Amino acid sequence: MFTADPDADLEYSLAEWRRWRKRRRIAELAWIDALYHAELTGIACAVAFYALAGVIGDGALSASQMADVTRSGDAWLGLAAAVVLAVGLRSGSRGGPLVLEQADVRHVLLSPVDRGRALRGPALRQLRFQLFVAACGGLAVGFLAAHRLAGSTAGWTAGATSFTLATVALAFGAALLASSLRLPSWAGTALAIGLVGAAAADVAGVIPASPTAPWGRIGMWPVQPAAPGIVAVAISLLVLGAGLARLGRVSLESAERRSRLVGQLRFAATLQDVRTVVVLRRQLALELPRLRPWVRLRVRGTERRAVWRRGLRGALRWPAARVGRLVLLGVVAGLALRGVWAGTTPLLALAGVALFLAGLDATEAMAQELDHPSLTESVPVAASSLRVRHLPVAVAVMALVAAVGVAAAVLVEPGTGALELALICAPAAALAGLAGAGASLVSTPDPMEAMLMPPEVTGAYQAFRIARPLVLAIAGTLPVLAARAAAGAGGSATATAGIAALAVVAGFGVFVAWLHSREALQQALQAAFAPQKDARR
Amino acid sequence: MTQPADAPRTPAPRRRSRDMAGRRARLAQDKGTRPRRVPPPPPLTGVLVARRASKSYSDLVALAPLDLAVAAGERVALVGHNGSGKSTFLRLAAGLLELTAGEIEVAGYPVGAPEARAALSFVPDNPVLYDDLSVREHLAYIASLHGVDASEAQLDELIAAIGLAERADDLPARFSRGLRQKAALAVGLVRPFQVLLVDEPFVGLDVPGRQALLSLLDEAHAAGAAIVVATHEPSYVERVDRCLALRDGRLIHDGPSTPDEVVRLVGDQAYAAGP
Repeated sequence: MFTADPDADLEYSLAEWRRWRKRRRIAELAWIDALYHAELTGIACAVAFYALAGVIGDGALSASQMADVTRSGDAWLGLAAAVVLAVGLRSGSRGGPLVLEQADVRHVLLSPVDRGRALRGPALRQLRFQLFVAACGGLAVGFLAAHRLAGSTAGWTAGATSFTLATVALAFGAALLASSLRLPSWAGTALAIGLVGAAAADVAGVIPASPTAPWGRIGMWPVQPAAPGIVAVAISLLVLGAGLARLGRVSLESAERRSRLVGQLRFAATLQDVRTVVVLRRQLALELPRLRPWVRLRVRGTERRAVWRRGLRGALRWPAARVGRLVLLGVVAGLALRGVWAGTTPLLALAGVALFLAGLDATEAMAQELDHPSLTESVPVAASSLRVRHLPVAVAVMALVAAVGVAAAVLVEPGTGALELALICAPAAALAGLAGAGASLVSTPDPMEAMLMPPEVTGAYQAFRIARPLVLAIAGTLPVLAARAAAGAGGSATATAGIAALAVVAGFGVFVAWLHSREALQQALQAAFAPQKDARR
Repeated sequence: MTQPADAPRTPAPRRRSRDMAGRRARLAQDKGTRPRRVPPPPPLTGVLVARRASKSYSDLVALAPLDLAVAAGERVALVGHNGSGKSTFLRLAAGLLELTAGEIEVAGYPVGAPEARAALSFVPDNPVLYDDLSVREHLAYIASLHGVDASEAQLDELIAAIGLAERADDLPARFSRGLRQKAALAVGLVRPFQVLLVDEPFVGLDVPGRQALLSLLDEAHAAGAAIVVATHEPSYVERVDRCLALRDGRLIHDGPSTPDEVVRLVGDQAYAAGP
């Protein structure tokens, strides 16, 4: 048995070992790889800056437009701050934001080393990186916005940078506090929804100011009084300090779960594997099926329509969090489509993405078949047929999501016309969301496929593969656009929406046929091209 | 005037408290016992103490409220089916899981306190080791985190005892399951402890590895440490002072035991056959 020296400086030993490991990592670094990564990052930043410049534009604002910005700019920036803070709170309530090495959780945090001091290094590293990204983003946005806004470039750039830095510091500190206070996940979500809701109400002019509006004032320093912004900066620093001071109270259970899953999550995201990302995210959020289903279905020996019943049983065990998420996605999709009808066309994308995410939940049973191909192959039913048999339950779930969307859209501005239009457009959009999710699940990434392609093609192909399901989902929202155009031209919005919705439903039929005959089509294509290859040989 | 026999009796005046007391007394008589005050359980003492310790995940109870005390120098085998709560208890005691209710103390300190962490060593069934450190570097690192000033010869001695002398400078990340298990055991033993928790240590070990492990556990026991081993290995059950059997998160046996009795308690022939 070994004995410990009671006077040993354990924290110093830990720091020494960490420094030694870092030196060795740097010594073993492949500089060519590092330069390649730096080059890729540089290209990505340049593309992002160019895209941002396109979004912001470069024409100077008129006096009335500038007055609008001065009046409501802090509310919009407050909304952005609320979203960032909401992300931080949600992360903290699930054990974030720190992502530690799993071995560090087991060996360092279980040793008598002071946990606060042991975690300070990783926390400050993570904070430093986030602040760096925030500063870069703030500088870019401030610099580009200054071309359009009245005032000095230096003032707007400083204001935007201060806003992003203060917001990120606040979110990081709030996440640390939420984690150390063991804020329950539901409470984190409720707080996040409350903050974003209040900020959205501020933007809409329903309330005079939201709790995050002072952070918006930081970004508006060149044209608005500085005092509220200074208070916001002070609060950010206070919250960050309190979060860092409570580092040692981190939950090991959450820390270990995060350390195990976040690495896998990043790898899956790198491979653009949506299904794996979804599954790991659920594990991270401890989103487990209910032991006791919402409604218990009796098992009566061998059953007819076994696949339907299996899907239904799975859906009846969904945790409340997933049900709540589907309701929220339905509301978001409904409100976004309502916004499209009112004239904000880009909200099509938001509605499409919301329904695509809902579709990923609705197709859970089918996804599990795809997760376990050996199980699927062990039953005397063709895999393609099995996949299609999972669709009815998914369609039923999406019908409920569509119903929520209809309710949300109509409640904004009740009326018979709005109800008719919503009843036509929402089911079609929901079906398209389901088709997008199904296509994403079936078309899993194949690393070998990407490796065999010429490098020039790989990037474009990967982009196409990621975009395809989302494009499908967004296409389902086009009936709203068609109805708006018809109404603008003096035609019947309902009739146009009906025709467009029928086209979407027909498209869903094509998706079902493709899902059923995918392998057969692939084999037919291979057979068609094989003789040509043989002939060339 | 006498009252007819079939007439309803005049209700007695309501005396709730006395009636309830009478009801309790009648119930107690029905059970053949007399009403008595239940004395509080004696306070639990030991180097590892659990008081109403429980763990649940929403509606799933992984460990029902458990009272337990392990004395210094005691050897305990923790047996039970898969999912019976063995690993949950060990991970709770190590501080890797958070208690839903109750408390656990290690060497008189609440689990998670620096003193408790210094007094307890946990060897999990799924070893987690650093990718960039060799076995020897692992031992040196963990030893320094616990304030152990071990010489190279002492580390080499431990590495040789566990059967990793040939692989001391290799990375455990490239090891097989069994070799990783050995490395994790060495890491668990390179530091001082009063309580050693080992989860399924025999799985994946070859015969010399098992023998080495048993002798190292004996050595730790001889040095006065309490050892709790969650195992399916019947031969180890014969060596311990006490056997704890868990079923569905509940303690169903606490006392000395034989492999045959363990089979009866756990109801699994797999115990008789070994892993």
